[in-house]
Amino acid sequence: MITCKVCNNQEFHGVFFCGECGSQLVLTDDKNVDTFIYPSQVRGLELDISNTIPKKLLENKTFILYCLDQEEMINIPDQVEFTIGRFVDGQVITPDVDLNLYEAFDKGVSRLHATIRINPEKNKIHVIDLGSANGSSVNGYEIPANSEVPLNHGDVLTLGKFRMKVILPKELK
Amino acid sequence: MPDKTDFYDRLNIGTGASEEAIKKAYRLAVRKTHPDVNRNEGATQLFLDIQEAYKILSDPNRKGAYDDGRGSHETPPAVHTAIEFSQDTLIRLDEPQIVYSMIDIVSTLAEKDTTDLPLNISFVLDNSTSMNGARMDILKSATKAIIQELDEDDIISVISFNDRAEVLLSSQSHPPIAHVESSINSLFAEGGTEIFQGLEAAFEEIRKNSPFDYVNHIILITDGHTYGDEENCITLARSAAKLDIGISGLGIGIEWNDEFIDKLCALTGGQCMFIQELNQVKDFLKHSITSLKEAYSRHVSLEIIPAPGVNLLSAFRILPEALPLPHQEEFSLGILKKDKPHRILFEFLINPVPEEIDQAIIASGEFILKRKPRDYTIPFTLNRPIVAELEEPQPPPEEIFRAISHLTFYRLQEKAQKDIASGNPGTAFQRLINLSSHLMAKGEESLAKIAMHEADYIKSHNNFSPTGKKQLKYGTIRLMLPDKT
Repeated sequence: MITCKVCNNQEFHGVFFCGECGSQLVLTDDKNVDTFIYPSQVRGLELDISNTIPKKLLENKTFILYCLDQEEMINIPDQVEFTIGRFVDGQVITPDVDLNLYEAFDKGVSRLHATIRINPEKNKIHVIDLGSANGSSVNGYEIPANSEVPLNHGDVLTLGKFRMKVILPKELK
Repeated sequence: MPDKTDFYDRLNIGTGASEEAIKKAYRLAVRKTHPDVNRNEGATQLFLDIQEAYKILSDPNRKGAYDDGRGSHETPPAVHTAIEFSQDTLIRLDEPQIVYSMIDIVSTLAEKDTTDLPLNISFVLDNSTSMNGARMDILKSATKAIIQELDEDDIISVISFNDRAEVLLSSQSHPPIAHVESSINSLFAEGGTEIFQGLEAAFEEIRKNSPFDYVNHIILITDGHTYGDEENCITLARSAAKLDIGISGLGIGIEWNDEFIDKLCALTGGQCMFIQELNQVKDFLKHSITSLKEAYSRHVSLEIIPAPGVNLLSAFRILPEALPLPHQEEFSLGILKKDKPHRILFEFLINPVPEEIDQAIIASGEFILKRKPRDYTIPFTLNRPIVAELEEPQPPPEEIFRAISHLTFYRLQEKAQKDIASGNPGTAFQRLINLSSHLMAKGEESLAKIAMHEADYIKSHNNFSPTGKKQLKYGTIRLMLPDKT
């Protein structure tokens, strides 16, 4: 039997998807990574951000990370690939986005925790966990280190215990 | 030595033998070859051959077809089959495992290569009280319009039903337009909904005038629940399937019983559709007729026999129209279109295989294709090599993976319905939330929203909304089609 990592349901060998929660149970080819499903345990596609993010910003950005605990937008550089982590004194390679600015001190974020890669042509965004100490997850489901995992509008990306919401302003009504 | 592939030779009679003579020859042959009497080697096979020959020659329809084909140089049917498995090689396990198999049958002829088969079609129209008003008007005009589009040699009948059935247009080809108009115009809405009445009348009309190698089909349009006669309808559908009569259903609005109509269609190889917009009635009729007109074979059925130690858990038709199939081993698939495959996804449970065996036999089966001049059988077997361990992990084949992924969506909404039925709205809620996020991940945004909306509805009402329930079901079914347009 195989056990679903998300809901602990047991399925027979050979089954591709959990019959209880619908999560994918087998790994597919890299080229198929986009079909990987992460069950969202956090709702909130209807998250109200109208008060916290200026409308103008929403119109200009293609991609926004929203800190769920501090309820504010995270400042991200305007480039197609950047690293996220925590700046510590004496560090040689510094992350492009320093989560200490968003009170990440005791949230188990590594110095270089993850990379975000934006492919504007294909309109796709991926996160890569850089082998962080405490790991990363998408929608509560742990992701493997050093591999690209797609991010969709409404996903909750967690680095250690630091939770961020992925917002693609295009998808907002 | 007579040619034992010839049915007449097997019974030792001439081709001109009467029905009575065939029966007599058969009894004589059986007495000589019955395994209880004749213990010679090969007698059993001889006995089976005789059974086969008699089965065809005693049935006037099939005898005619056999005669037509006999003697002339026969070309085999232009079809081929393809089989794909969820795993190329099985791993030897000491516990049961699941294997999916996707079977295609496709006619290799392009649309223009053969002439169309004529239709023998019956329209069954619900004229219960609830159809009153716009529904009735649209139904009338759509039916009249589609009848005018039929060809001269098509046979048409029209039935209306409420608590009773009425034959508005009795089975005939090329009915005068004025007659069609006046009989359909006479229709008005009153009374209840008893689908069996309508189906039975249509069944009779189709049978009344049933020439060989016509595409027989009943098109049922209803907006209501039938009460108490479901079992009769199912029995009728089973008989229809045996006589190559297909049933397609269109449900208007939200009141009609989708599970029931789905079952009727699945049993006979028809299709079931759900519409909310009235102007889609015409499109549905047009789509149904166009697709029946594409028939290469008037009927194809599939029989599958799981090997010992294997259970067939479920079957799902993916093409030409997605539909869950009833739990059985013989499936009536309806017409086989030119150049368009039938695709069935089977789910098998395989029990542990003994160590000395390196090939797991999963099932054997055959397609039975009905087309002039006779019936053709296309046998196949499903088996996979079985090994102790794999050198490299096998990624699942794309097409089958995609089909199963979409089947998972359908199953989730089905389970949510069961959760509600067994009094667990909380579980149903969570399931729909999961479904919604999976759909979102696949880019199926509008269906994801419907699932989310239903989850909210369940939270406050402890039940599905009538519209959302059907939207989710038919929405997830629709996803299964490789080409969704």
